[in-house]
Amino acid sequence: MSDITVAGGRVTRRGGPGAEASEAAWQPPDARRVLQLALAAVWLLDALLQYQSFMFTKGFGQMLAGTASGNPAVVASPISWDARLVEQHAVLLNTIFATIQLLLALGIAWRPTVRVALGASIAWSLGVWWFGEGLGEVLTPGASPVNGAPGAVIIYALLAVLLWPSDRHTATAPFTAARAVGAPAARALWLVLWGSLAYFALLPGNRTAQGLSGMISGMASGEPGWLAALDNHAASLLAHQGLAASIVLAIALAVIAVGVYLPRSAARATVVLAIVVAAVIWIFGEAFGAILAGGATDPNSGLLLILLAVAYWPTRTGATVPAAAQAVGGEGAKA
Amino acid sequence: MITPSWILDILAVVMLLVAAVSAGRLVAARPWAGPTGEADIDIAHLLMGIAMAGTLVASLATLSNGAWSVIFAVLTAWFAWRVYHESRGEGARVLVDGHHAPHLVHSAAMLYMFVAITTPVAAHGAGMSGMGASGTAMQTLSVPVVAFLFAILLAGYAVMDLDWLSSPAPHGRLAAVAASISPAAAAAAVGGSVITAVASAGPAGAEGSVTTVPERAASAGNPADDGGATDSARNALLDPRTAVGCRIAMGVTMAFMLIIMI
Repeated sequence: MSDITVAGGRVTRRGGPGAEASEAAWQPPDARRVLQLALAAVWLLDALLQYQSFMFTKGFGQMLAGTASGNPAVVASPISWDARLVEQHAVLLNTIFATIQLLLALGIAWRPTVRVALGASIAWSLGVWWFGEGLGEVLTPGASPVNGAPGAVIIYALLAVLLWPSDRHTATAPFTAARAVGAPAARALWLVLWGSLAYFALLPGNRTAQGLSGMISGMASGEPGWLAALDNHAASLLAHQGLAASIVLAIALAVIAVGVYLPRSAARATVVLAIVVAAVIWIFGEAFGAILAGGATDPNSGLLLILLAVAYWPTRTGATVPAAAQAVGGEGAKA
Repeated sequence: MITPSWILDILAVVMLLVAAVSAGRLVAARPWAGPTGEADIDIAHLLMGIAMAGTLVASLATLSNGAWSVIFAVLTAWFAWRVYHESRGEGARVLVDGHHAPHLVHSAAMLYMFVAITTPVAAHGAGMSGMGASGTAMQTLSVPVVAFLFAILLAGYAVMDLDWLSSPAPHGRLAAVAASISPAAAAAAVGGSVITAVASAGPAGAEGSVTTVPERAASAGNPADDGGATDSARNALLDPRTAVGCRIAMGVTMAFMLIIMI
């Protein structure tokens, strides 16, 4: 016999088998758990994209081979070897790749396995960053924040680290991303990421008169009419303005990079700026990762940068840990 | 370009399994003996399972795209009304953690899929009057951005469902949303035998009077009140986690179909 009380939409149970498990009323996930779930959803989207028809063909291997271009031999050689392997065993290897990503998504969403899945996602991301993205082209002259540098998948790894279910720094964490690694480390990671984006924006290839314009207009190919029109319009606005646009973009990215060291109100303003810049990059520079054109393996970096920026949103009194979050954060607290 | 047929076959089997489980839930819940609050969801899952299996594997196709469009238009309208009703007590947050919002999205995604599916064009080896590899054509969806948005929503609901199921008090969550439907659903969610339902008589979330749940409804989800393997199977079928599991499988499969038809 057990008693159940339904009060104001909350249900608690007293007595009976398993009562201990459901003694506490269910509470919604906290901010970090929401971000973990968003990361899981993106991994799930990636897995589904990996199941697209194109990925089971030799074309996928050829796409991987293309990321070796421009990289030093020590980086490019393993990519070429991997690409040949994928070309020869496209169906088998792509099925494995897609299934791994599916398991990562499900593992992050399933609370008892969140730590294992996040850890695995870091290892997987680093592997894909090298063998699938050519280190995000950061060692090539063509790297640009507008086309996805330093590589979308490295941001997955960064998010996994920052959203790790540990609460050693919760009491002093000024934003969610600082809960696991502490505010100084989290700020340093932000500074390095956005600072590197500012640096890439000023690379010679991006400063040319038609650099950014050409990059954006190149994304229009194969996209639906409205998105192609948006890209072409943006490209025409930037035509012959490559140097000025690169400088403006670099300044904005540099401001974002140092924004986390500013007082809370200013830090919030820079996080908003980060979200806006990331959204502009995602829509105009990356065309939503070219998903609508088919053949994309992920939504590219813009979406991940938005997610990352949300994790740095300054809280009023430090990140809070609701009781219900202990199932996830609490496990981390043992670490 | 083809998607390996064995992947489609596996997913079709999963969808048929979901349909069978949903049919089993409908029978086990004995909706003819009184309202259970979940019959509409089980009917939706049953129909979606059959429709998706037919879309994945041509030989499993049953109705025409037009007929399915009508069916899912009705379901979409029905769940839109249910979400509206739910939102009167809970506000816009029901779109995030409400009980019917995922079903509205599922129904709308199915409606979109059957309305937006284009005439197959020649492609080497692929087959879809469905997506199976038995034919010579491949279907795509018009207005692919809608497919992309639906895929994101479906992925989001799937991971949230997984989070609920693995939370420390999944019964609490499931019962909380079930309480917005009926005390009987809340009873099924927690599997209790004696229920004091406060605030479930009115709109969800509103404070109300104490309500005694009918014995039949209360026992519907209570393993302790029934004996034997048959009753255990019945209780397992009626466990709300079973329905949520079906919803996860369906959401992921639906998102998969939308993505590969972009």
